[in-house]
Amino acid sequence: MTGTGCHRAAGVDGMTRETQSKGGGMALMRKRNTKGGKRWWLLSDSLRLIVFAFIIVILFSFLASIYFLGRKDRMDQAAREAENLLNSLSNNIMSEIERYKSLSRLVMVDDRLVAFLRAEPEEVNEGVVNNAIMGIREILNVTVNVDSVFVFREDGKYLSTNRGEYMFDYERMETEEWSEDILDGLGRAVISVNGNNAVFKTKGMSVVTIGRAVYDLLTQQRTGIMLMNISDAMLEQTIRATKNENVCIVDEDGKLLAGNADLPKYYSAEFATEETFRKTEKIPGGRRLVSGCRIPNTPLVVLCYSDIDAKIAPFEMGYVLFLFLLVFVTAAFVVGAFVTKNITDPVFALTSAMEKNREEGRLERLNMTTPRNEIGMLKDVYNNMIDRVNEQTRRLLEKEKNLQRAEMRVLNEQIKPHFLYNSLETIGYLALEEGAESVYSALETLGSFYRNFLSKGDREIPLEREVNIVQDYLALQKLRYGEIIEDEYDLAEDAKKCIIPKLTLQPLVENSIYHGIRLKGEPGIIRIAAWLEDGMLHVLVRDTGIGMSKEQIDRILSASKEGEENAAEQADSFGLWGTIERIRYFCDRDDVVRIRSEEGEYTEVEFIFPPNRGGQESDEVQEAGSEREAGLKRETGSKREAGPERKIGSARENEPEKKTGSERKTGG
Amino acid sequence: MRKYRVMLIDDEQSARRLMRASVDWESLNMEVVGEAASGIEAINVIDDMRPDIAFVDISMPFMNGIEFTEVATARYPDLIIIIMTAIDQFEYARKCVSLPVFEYMLKPMVRSEIMEVLIKARQKLDETVNLAEEAAAEAAPDQEMREDTVSQIKKYIDDNYTDAKINLTSVAEQFGFSASYLSRKFKQETGKNFVEYLTECRMEKAILLAENKWKMFQTSAEVGIPDPNYFGRCFKKYTGMSYSDYVAARGRKE
Repeated sequence: MTGTGCHRAAGVDGMTRETQSKGGGMALMRKRNTKGGKRWWLLSDSLRLIVFAFIIVILFSFLASIYFLGRKDRMDQAAREAENLLNSLSNNIMSEIERYKSLSRLVMVDDRLVAFLRAEPEEVNEGVVNNAIMGIREILNVTVNVDSVFVFREDGKYLSTNRGEYMFDYERMETEEWSEDILDGLGRAVISVNGNNAVFKTKGMSVVTIGRAVYDLLTQQRTGIMLMNISDAMLEQTIRATKNENVCIVDEDGKLLAGNADLPKYYSAEFATEETFRKTEKIPGGRRLVSGCRIPNTPLVVLCYSDIDAKIAPFEMGYVLFLFLLVFVTAAFVVGAFVTKNITDPVFALTSAMEKNREEGRLERLNMTTPRNEIGMLKDVYNNMIDRVNEQTRRLLEKEKNLQRAEMRVLNEQIKPHFLYNSLETIGYLALEEGAESVYSALETLGSFYRNFLSKGDREIPLEREVNIVQDYLALQKLRYGEIIEDEYDLAEDAKKCIIPKLTLQPLVENSIYHGIRLKGEPGIIRIAAWLEDGMLHVLVRDTGIGMSKEQIDRILSASKEGEENAAEQADSFGLWGTIERIRYFCDRDDVVRIRSEEGEYTEVEFIFPPNRGGQESDEVQEAGSEREAGLKRETGSKREAGPERKIGSARENEPEKKTGSERKTGG
Repeated sequence: MRKYRVMLIDDEQSARRLMRASVDWESLNMEVVGEAASGIEAINVIDDMRPDIAFVDISMPFMNGIEFTEVATARYPDLIIIIMTAIDQFEYARKCVSLPVFEYMLKPMVRSEIMEVLIKARQKLDETVNLAEEAAAEAAPDQEMREDTVSQIKKYIDDNYTDAKINLTSVAEQFGFSASYLSRKFKQETGKNFVEYLTECRMEKAILLAENKWKMFQTSAEVGIPDPNYFGRCFKKYTGMSYSDYVAARGRKE
């Protein structure tokens, strides 16, 4: 399971790296998404990893807790059992020994033994000894486990009920150490093993010895020492009574007295205390708890052990675990499905919608339905952000427009038309006074030009007003350049009233003069035509100048399409470029211009205004028309009607004078 | 047929001069009978000029073209008023759309446009003036003035000369006579022109103020000629001295 998890983790890492390295990470994600959409139970990789990791952690902690808790429990139980066992065993042995102690007292007071002890050394003969032995045996008939009794007189003579089966360690018996504790007991029973290590059975196990110092009842003189040896059978019987095979009894040196022969190897001095001592030993396939304690007032130590093997939990536990796992995995998948349906899918849908927004460069609200939870919140927040951005953009645009309008106004203010007109009038009067009629004519045209040019600061004016501007402009230019320019007008009546942006024709005419006719060096004709066709207003400016090459035309068109101001400037036709840009902006479309030319022959620039703007009057004009009273309306009307003719008329009227003027100039 | 009389009202001297010089009045059977540099001056002299057509500039100090037009259209219903305006005053000019103005013209003016407007004006005058004059001739002569009427009028002038808008026509209306009759009668009775008498009243008051060393612009406002330039000219004409000289010479020593 862990392995799978790791594998998946690696897989996710790989994908993340891929996402980061590739630009189209989102696209990749979306592809995965559509694939995943068919198999709903597949979570996204990262989520899957998390779910699996979760399962693993839970399982491990569960197993570990079961293992450790179980082990501790078994340990405690074993310890308790051992304690009980040891207690009952030592109690049993103690009571057994008590019994033998009372027997030994009986033996001690038997008259035949007393006679043996009281007899003078020379009186000790076989008869006395045998009598004493008889007496002892009679008493010991009630029991089976007393192996033998030794009685030593003070002078070293002794008797034994089981001669020949024992060996004596005479050297030890010579020492005071041997009998010291017995003598110190002043007649009390002292328990030892193998008669204080001086009396050994030649065959078989060690014996437990009850030793006493014997005192004469009358004289209270010590008369000897008695040793009663109890065979191992007594211990064996006691052990058997516990019905436990894992028990043994050892002496203080760890030598086995009875019971399980495997145990003494675990013995150590710590067990020889009255408190129960425990230690665990490793054995193949588990561990072994060894407990032991000394039987009070004896050199005997009881040991027992119980094995706590590595046997895993019992079968029941296994079933429970398996069930638990099953439930858990099912739950994980249910959770996964839930997460997929309620979180992953909506998130993918949301992100792909956002991504679509981004790719298409639009800032639109998302209209998809989302669950009413955090995903919905996410959508709402995104939508709010979009709204805000749009609002911000709108405000910025508005600000920019206002700024432009303000700048335009400032520019118009700076020109100070009133001052200009008054100056023109004054100079005009001076010219008239001096009889310079041609000068006054020129000033008059200039005044008219500026009047139309500034035209109340309107940005959009009727076509015929624009034509007036061009006429005045051309009249003034003719003064400068003489009669190299001839102008023709062909305006359809219905086209005259169409509204166009101010200064659309003038820059074209200027362009025609400077980049067309003047460069040619011979008189040229500028023809301006306007007509309505399929509801579209067509305005055409044609000059018979040097024309433009295909490359030049392309450059201007492409430069203005791409907004490359510099390129257009380099192309030396900023006026034309700027005009095209403005008209595109005005019409809100790209296809507004046709440029036709033949090098050395002519250039034709044709603007096409769509009907929605070109065909109707602007608000301002409508407003003015409705609000102004008859007088004002009449005025505008008359001016409109009179405009072109008047201009042409005046221009024509002035022609001869200008001609003479220029001739005079050249003549001079 | 008599020539039509044209009056030019514009604070720009060059503009007035240019109008006189640039238009061939003769060919239109018109003559420029007078000029005024402000609405105030115009009101004072208009009864002498008796124009058929008035060119009125919108922006003039002390009484602008609109105020003047308001007064003039009320008093001289037959007068053809042509408003002149520069583009930057266009919004201002729109205020007088309610006034019966004959035409609006944008400055700087172009001769051809002026000619066109004048030709239209002449047509209108041709239709109306003769009729009006005939009617005036046929109309019953004004009722005879009573003995004390002229003295009443003099009293009225004495009380009201501080009103800058007062003139022969307005007084005649007040008393129910025609302007020409009143003018004639007034001269007969007093030996003075109506305008002369009105100006005299104002100037006598002005002299008093001048002796008290009032500033000219204050005096001119006080005596009902709030245009100090015109006032200055009137004062000089009346006293033979400029106002400042007069103050210097006759002002009371303190």
